Amino acid sequence: MYGRKASELVKEFASVEHGQVFTFNNDLFAQVLEECDGHLLHLQPLMRKIQEHEDKLKDKSRSQEEIGISEDETSKSQDEKTLIQNALKSDQFGALVHHLSLVRNKRCLMAYVYKRAEVIRSLGWMVDSVLPETIQEKLSTSEKEYFKNHAATLQSYMAELDLHLTVDMIPPKDPYIKVRVLDDIGEIALSDQVANLARHAIMFLRRTDAEQYITQGQMEELTG
Amino acid sequence: MANYYDIDDILAEEELVPTVFQHGANGVGLFDSSDDADKVEAGSRAELPFWLVRELYLRQLVSIRVPPCFDRESKTREEIAADAAHVDLRSRSPYFYELGCKIALLIRDRTIGPFLLVAFQTRYRDVLVKAHALTLTMTPKYLTLLTNEETKLYEAGQSSIAAFKKWRMGGPRFQVAPVLGRKRKLT
Repeated sequence: MYGRKASELVKEFASVEHGQVFTFNNDLFAQVLEECDGHLLHLQPLMRKIQEHEDKLKDKSRSQEEIGISEDETSKSQDEKTLIQNALKSDQFGALVHHLSLVRNKRCLMAYVYKRAEVIRSLGWMVDSVLPETIQEKLSTSEKEYFKNHAATLQSYMAELDLHLTVDMIPPKDPYIKVRVLDDIGEIALSDQVANLARHAIMFLRRTDAEQYITQGQMEELTG
Repeated sequence: MANYYDIDDILAEEELVPTVFQHGANGVGLFDSSDDADKVEAGSRAELPFWLVRELYLRQLVSIRVPPCFDRESKTREEIAADAAHVDLRSRSPYFYELGCKIALLIRDRTIGPFLLVAFQTRYRDVLVKAHALTLTMTPKYLTLLTNEETKLYEAGQSSIAAFKKWRMGGPRFQVAPVLGRKRKLT
């Protein structure tokens, strides 16, 4: 059935939890493109045939006008005309089906790419400009490029405003919070101190410093 | 037309509608993959996806038989009238409402609209109540009855309850970015 593969592609996107990234399905994507080429191959000869039929019809009506013919012949040529018209309609029908399938495939492919781009843009707000490797390998080359450019745009915009927009996504109650370090981060200069962030250390940090590490999964907030 | 990029709209239009060809078509061999003939004869029957049916129907190239779940004399209508909340709409079509709206517009059947409305109204109340009350073990069984749209409502109800509880109890407010998935395993 036409358009089946394209809808599988979209279904795959729909089945993933909202906002998650998954591997770009190069294989299926290429198959859909191939199907599009197939439609085009079908479409071209049909278009040619339609043109031929139309020309024939035109010729017929012109010759009818030019030479007066007997009633017997008129009905005969009328029969021929309906025959051609029928064939013409069948060809048009076939061409329409292929055309609609092409449009449909296009819509599916566009939606797939567009929705993925949406997720990638939102990544820029959540994990800063460096992507973890587990996500990197799920993106296609052009998507990596897209993310890099988007992150750069975001950075330059924030530099222009002189305001860091990705911190304090949740309104703060207290400037300091207690966190546990989950990863060996090493000696890092924070805004108020130089701290050695070793794994399992529990420390008080400024919220603004801790926030990016928490969203990247390298720290967790402790409460109580 | 809904948003061009709308995933749900795209999938809803993939649903099959039974049709009868009113005219032959050349160069098309899609309806029976075992058949290599490059032609479809007038009068043949096929189930086509809605995105194809709409355009063909408007040009009067095919005629539609209303899918059984929307039909006036169908069992589905009787079941909805009896006890809407427990009808398995998902097996009829996961995009029951969306498809219903599209078909009603296309064939100008005035009875489908009110029918969908009644079905949704009665089921909506049940979905909300269950979203708040159902235990985790019962959830999967109930979800198999719901269409996609109802599943979304159900999940929205549950997440709002969870958010309310979290707000009342307090707790960590920073979270790992959702794209990174579950908590890292400590090695």
